[in-house]
Amino acid sequence: MEPFPSDVSREIFSRLPVKSVARFRSLSKLWGSTLCSPDFTELFQTRSRARPRLLFAVERYCKWSFFSSPQPQYPYDKSSSSSADFHSKFSGDISRYMCSYASGLVYFPDMWIPKEDSDGGGYSPQPVICNPITGKYQSLPAPVDRYRKTRDFLGFDPIDKQFKALSEAYPSFDDSDHHQILTLGRTGDVLSWTRNKHCPLYGRSLSQGICINGVIYYLAYNIGGLPRVIVCFDVRSEEFKLIEADCFSGEDTIKLISYNGKLGGVNWNYDIADGGRRILELCVWVLEDVEKPEWLKSVYTLSEDKIVDTCNFSVAGMTGTGEIVLCMDYTSKPFYVFYFHPEKNTLRCVEIRGFGADLEAIEKRGRVHVFVDHIEDLNINDAKQFKT
Amino acid sequence: MSKSEKKIVLKSLDNEAFEVEKAVALQSQTIWVMCEDKCVGNEIPLENVTGQILAKVIDYCKKHAVVDGDGDESSEELKNWDTEFTKNMDQSTLFNMILAANYLNIKSLLNLTCQAVADKTKTIDEFHTFLNIENNFTPEEEAQICQENLWAFDD
Repeated sequence: MEPFPSDVSREIFSRLPVKSVARFRSLSKLWGSTLCSPDFTELFQTRSRARPRLLFAVERYCKWSFFSSPQPQYPYDKSSSSSADFHSKFSGDISRYMCSYASGLVYFPDMWIPKEDSDGGGYSPQPVICNPITGKYQSLPAPVDRYRKTRDFLGFDPIDKQFKALSEAYPSFDDSDHHQILTLGRTGDVLSWTRNKHCPLYGRSLSQGICINGVIYYLAYNIGGLPRVIVCFDVRSEEFKLIEADCFSGEDTIKLISYNGKLGGVNWNYDIADGGRRILELCVWVLEDVEKPEWLKSVYTLSEDKIVDTCNFSVAGMTGTGEIVLCMDYTSKPFYVFYFHPEKNTLRCVEIRGFGADLEAIEKRGRVHVFVDHIEDLNINDAKQFKT
Repeated sequence: MSKSEKKIVLKSLDNEAFEVEKAVALQSQTIWVMCEDKCVGNEIPLENVTGQILAKVIDYCKKHAVVDGDGDESSEELKNWDTEFTKNMDQSTLFNMILAANYLNIKSLLNLTCQAVADKTKTIDEFHTFLNIENNFTPEEEAQICQENLWAFDD
């Protein structure tokens, strides 16, 4: 038999799930090194951008389980169900069920991890950054004098390919308290938080953050009863900026999304339409231009049975192909994900299977957080500084 | 143009002849170059492709050809057709389709079949067999590689 052309083999390998690539490094010496090479890593990333996934973080009793599943391609993929692949588990989280996601990695602000230098007895809560796909993690130093209720946000600067964590100061009325920044993953460096004194005054954060093109955004109370603001933190330059966001004042549930690369916010509410039918109303605000605080508002009404009959679900984000993703809040059977395209007014429903009997049982269901457009990346998955 | 000029004959490795519209065959860059160079007559010998595989390749090219107004298939229909096309092919056929698509230089078919193999292949042995790759690791080296990529082996 003739040898298979190696460039064609590379084409095949570049389309595999990241886990298979790692496994197939034991094929032969040649492939062991090819599948680790920068060239292949680059090719793999190009291919994975074309097949983004949903990342499911399921939390139950301080334990997190991570799953992922392919996002159906828009508009052709008509699959009505999809399987969730299990990746990893982390326990010991006391972060009040918050985690922050950027570019493939997840940050937990407070985790109980056995201390390395103790004899198994010493535990202390510390921030942890983890790779949900490989289950590898690294524990990080805790910010100095952190107030218990502050939020931490993870960001990624695509230019320098640098992850940074931002820890919010609270309350910011006090001049002596400042935001702190931790730069991750520089080999050899001692990880430490640095104080940043340049953030304009505001109240405190009231949403999870989202990182779009190297900028972390989160919604915050302003001071002195002024309208709410969006805090912007440029991961690369470490500069802060506040954007007026009066439109979000008084709204309870605002999910910040990347609306085709622009910052957007979504609020969702059930309502009763004429005739007594239950409907779901989605309000979407989009910031057209970061320099001008003008938010364009659109309202969409969804009335499909599966959506209105499912009580608890949240907006997870927006895909790169322009669909708003809504997911059920708790694992259950069936578990639905909805894809709503506001511009084309199409709604697709996909059942996700495979969370396992444990999480699907009614009395054991877990809280689901979903991150959209998860791109598999060999670089991140091979990160050397991570422990298993 | 006379009827004969619009048709072309493709001959497989095992001497099976297929008469197809030129527009269908020209999706293959390899055939296109051969025709441009006028180094072949109306009959093109394809020494690397068996009749069984060539028949499937021609099916694909017919579906994807834009001929005399038959080309207005919606891209959605095409996408569905592609899915069905590879769905029931066994691994060995798929690998032969990849080789044929590579030899004939039909980019979209190569992409389609490579993705289908990637989606279907689950074990390392399948790659050893179909890609004809010999495992030249010593048991110790292999154990070390597995250790380095341990997270990928835990299911």
